[in-house]
Amino acid sequence: MKYLFIIIITANILCAQTDWVKWEAAEPSYEIPVSQERNFRVDNSTIGSLIITGATKIYHIMVSDVDGDNCPFYPSCSEFFVEGVKSTNLFQGGLMFIDRFTRDINFFKSRNKYPLHVSGKLYDPVVNYTLKFHNITYIPHDHIVK
Amino acid sequence: MLNNKIKSAYIISAKALARFSRMIFIAAILITNISSSIIAQVTEEVNLFSPVNRLKFGNHLFCNKDYLRAIDEYREYLKFSNNDTARFKFALSLAAIGRATEALDNYKGLFFSSIFSEQARMEFYKVNFLMEDYQKFRSLCTMQSYLPEKHKSEIVRLNFFTYLIDDIYLPDSAEFINSFDAEDKSEVADFYLRKKYPPYKSTVKAAILSAIIPGAGKIYTEDYAEGITAFIATGVLSFIAYNNFTNNHKLRGTLFAGLAVLSYAGNIYGSAASAQIYNAGIRFNFESEVKLYLNKKNYFIPVHNFLCN
Repeated sequence: MKYLFIIIITANILCAQTDWVKWEAAEPSYEIPVSQERNFRVDNSTIGSLIITGATKIYHIMVSDVDGDNCPFYPSCSEFFVEGVKSTNLFQGGLMFIDRFTRDINFFKSRNKYPLHVSGKLYDPVVNYTLKFHNITYIPHDHIVK
Repeated sequence: MLNNKIKSAYIISAKALARFSRMIFIAAILITNISSSIIAQVTEEVNLFSPVNRLKFGNHLFCNKDYLRAIDEYREYLKFSNNDTARFKFALSLAAIGRATEALDNYKGLFFSSIFSEQARMEFYKVNFLMEDYQKFRSLCTMQSYLPEKHKSEIVRLNFFTYLIDDIYLPDSAEFINSFDAEDKSEVADFYLRKKYPPYKSTVKAAILSAIIPGAGKIYTEDYAEGITAFIATGVLSFIAYNNFTNNHKLRGTLFAGLAVLSYAGNIYGSAASAQIYNAGIRFNFESEVKLYLNKKNYFIPVHNFLCN
């Protein structure tokens, strides 16, 4: 009975201590908040899409989410790569991604030609880079895309 | 003593005056009340929702360009009376808020034995043009379906403008330009030439330029910052690869050479894509200008000012 009493008291104190944590000063986070929730579902319809989406999800978990939401474009470069490969092929999608990466590292940061997406990012859809002229959806830079 | 008598007489007369004024006040209130209730009874008899009042209110809304609410009033009115003017305004209101199919149905109801036959036919063509199915518009013109007899030339002009917006072979320039009035000819000729010889950038040229000098294709398509970035990125990667090879770091050299090749190839592809986006921009701006011009000209159709006078 004596030991039972001690256990109850100790458990009580331990539980109470977890409550104190709530009132401690929170550590400020300087990470840029992610504008949209991640979809961690891997597309396993084909082996190719499994590898590519799998690699992208690993990149999201290991690099992107740790580093913060830094890509100035919508869709982000990794999503652009996956969409590009899906809408064309691995080779063309790869070239599209490299071109996008060059536009991303633009040393002069002059990105006046892109319209804004509602998320506050620059709208740069995959369809404009598939080399199919009639599929290009031209949107003037002073427009906001929903 | 005398003073007291005067004082009491004064008090009595003051009281009588107060009583009299109170009576007048009560009588005035009663009269006002009764008269207001009589007037109220009279106004209750006026039916604000009668067809005539609906038409009046619909006309007021139409002339104030409140087409959305005017539609409701005209619709209710047209249930009681088949008035051509109301139907024409109803169709115009529908067209103004983009309910094209309903507008076309109502215009069709005015094509025969109506004083608005000519105007309805013109507006019918205008709505068909605004629906942006230019192939259908051209086939309507070819078949001369419901063509307005007195205003054929206006519809022919509108038909020519479909060639400027659509991706289709342009008709002969003389035939095209001569169908317009003298004041419009210079602008129409400018549109014709810009459509025939658009200032597009060559996709192949952009790709070849980038193959010769990385980034040159993007500079050609007026993406100067991206072109210079591509040149620096490819140049730096190539230099690192070369430097590693010369210092006998074969693995590092191969890795950077691979990255340099990827950057080079990606830039060639990106230059071709950039030329296409540039051309899409030229096409978009041209179409916007043509549409603005047509809107300014009210699609070559006379403005129906008489409807609100």
